[in-house]
Amino acid sequence: MSKLVLKFGHSVLKEVPVAENEVSIGRSPENGIVIDNPAVSHFHARVFNEEGRLMLEDFGSLNGTFVNGQRVKMVTLKAGDAVGIGKHTIVVSESRDLDGFATGNGNGKPAGAAPKLNETVMLDTKERREFLQRIAAVGESAQVAPARLRVPTLVVRGGRTDQREYTLNDKLTVIGKSAMATVKLKGWFVPKAAAQINRRDDQSYYIGAADKVPSVNSKPISQPTKLSSGDVIEVAGVRLEFVYRD
Amino acid sequence: MTGAAHNGAAKERPLEYGAQSDKGCVRENNEDSYCVVPEMKLFVLSDGMGGLECGEVASRIAVDTVVEHCHRAEANSSLPLTGSRIDGVSDVTNRLASAVCVANSMVHRAAQEIALDRAMGATVVAVRFVAERMSLAHVGDSRVYRLRDDDLEQLTHDHSFVAEEMRRGRMTAQEAGSSQLQNVLVRALGIDPAVEVDVSEELIVESDTVLLCSDGLTRELSDDQISAVLSEHEEAQEAADCLVGLAKQAGGGDNITAIVIRLAPKPVGALRRIGRLRKWFKTSA
Repeated sequence: MSKLVLKFGHSVLKEVPVAENEVSIGRSPENGIVIDNPAVSHFHARVFNEEGRLMLEDFGSLNGTFVNGQRVKMVTLKAGDAVGIGKHTIVVSESRDLDGFATGNGNGKPAGAAPKLNETVMLDTKERREFLQRIAAVGESAQVAPARLRVPTLVVRGGRTDQREYTLNDKLTVIGKSAMATVKLKGWFVPKAAAQINRRDDQSYYIGAADKVPSVNSKPISQPTKLSSGDVIEVAGVRLEFVYRD
Repeated sequence: MTGAAHNGAAKERPLEYGAQSDKGCVRENNEDSYCVVPEMKLFVLSDGMGGLECGEVASRIAVDTVVEHCHRAEANSSLPLTGSRIDGVSDVTNRLASAVCVANSMVHRAAQEIALDRAMGATVVAVRFVAERMSLAHVGDSRVYRLRDDDLEQLTHDHSFVAEEMRRGRMTAQEAGSSQLQNVLVRALGIDPAVEVDVSEELIVESDTVLLCSDGLTRELSDDQISAVLSEHEEAQEAADCLVGLAKQAGGGDNITAIVIRLAPKPVGALRRIGRLRKWFKTSA
């Protein structure tokens, strides 16, 4: 009897036996092998037995099914073949482990020794490097997009502050009376920390509530809110306009 | 630094904290480690990987190295930073990032010495409080949350495959939640000779509660469950115990560690008593 071994890199995720039953593969949870990835169609392909031969059929999937690197529609599989679907690989292997049979429809968890899925693992070195480079590339293009150098600035439109304008250089900017506040508020009853602005990893600025709930464009915020050029923040008696200076 | 007394350090509010760690219901050992250093207001948590004793060793090295590096920097303010200086954050935050870089080298060195065919590594989250500022450095999928007025916000983002796919819009939260790849990390201590450390700074106000935890907690409990426990328990230690207990009840598939931190209650003065009375009248009206 054959079994299909679902792998991601070198990590074994699942083993499914193929007997008389067919094993369907896809993103939908009804499949015998579920590959949870947007590059995989809901019903992507199936593996079945026909006259003693193990067959693979692609259901006309968008991103294709590959056997040993070749895109295929319908082929006979042999032990050792590597079926590529999205980033995953399904390896065909001969199994002498008849216990696996017990699951019948091949839909549930294999009854044999399943790999420990809970253990934290690292993406393979090569894959990880490529992956991190791809992420970095995405980050760079996002930063290059605004053609000119943009300086995030708060311009005071009303209320008592120690400056008329503030450049946001830091990851954390506090508005209030506190010693650590960048935007220093004056007056007796102003809070130590009225609100905060965080620069996140996408280089965008988010305003969040602290002792007070600020409004952005006259609407009180319910969660940290991304700031766009021209947004007017009101909190603890001051009005601040957020702008990107060229 | 002799100037320390002038910058208001003496007036700083003490913190109240509690920590709990458990091997869970499936694993045979606890590969999580943590350390609380009250005099520095430093909290470090690490989740080791590599199986057998490797995970335990890796997380212990990670935590001890971070603490030791911060201790050395306290004693010697001219101690050079390991890794490049990060702009836009305080010296304290830079020091924390430096400590994590050193921890990476130490875990990496240990991994080379033990030389296994499988990756030995660890996650780390380190936070330090100075006045109202919390400095934060992390690598991996252990997390820091802040509960503020019933809003639970995750302050770290996981360096895991599914989290990165989500950030790039290639996976939905639902897909990520049911993915078989949840346990795959893209960044951890000890894997490469150098590591990129994520840092951030956060404001801490009166009502805030900060939670540091390993993925054994967040795999078992929802954000709502975590919020409920944090807001129900006044004592930080009780909250930490309760979180770990609930995660065990929910299955405890992995090691579970939780550190809960908040500002200690203010000494009750006359004005505050009046405030409390007012609150009481309001709620009972």
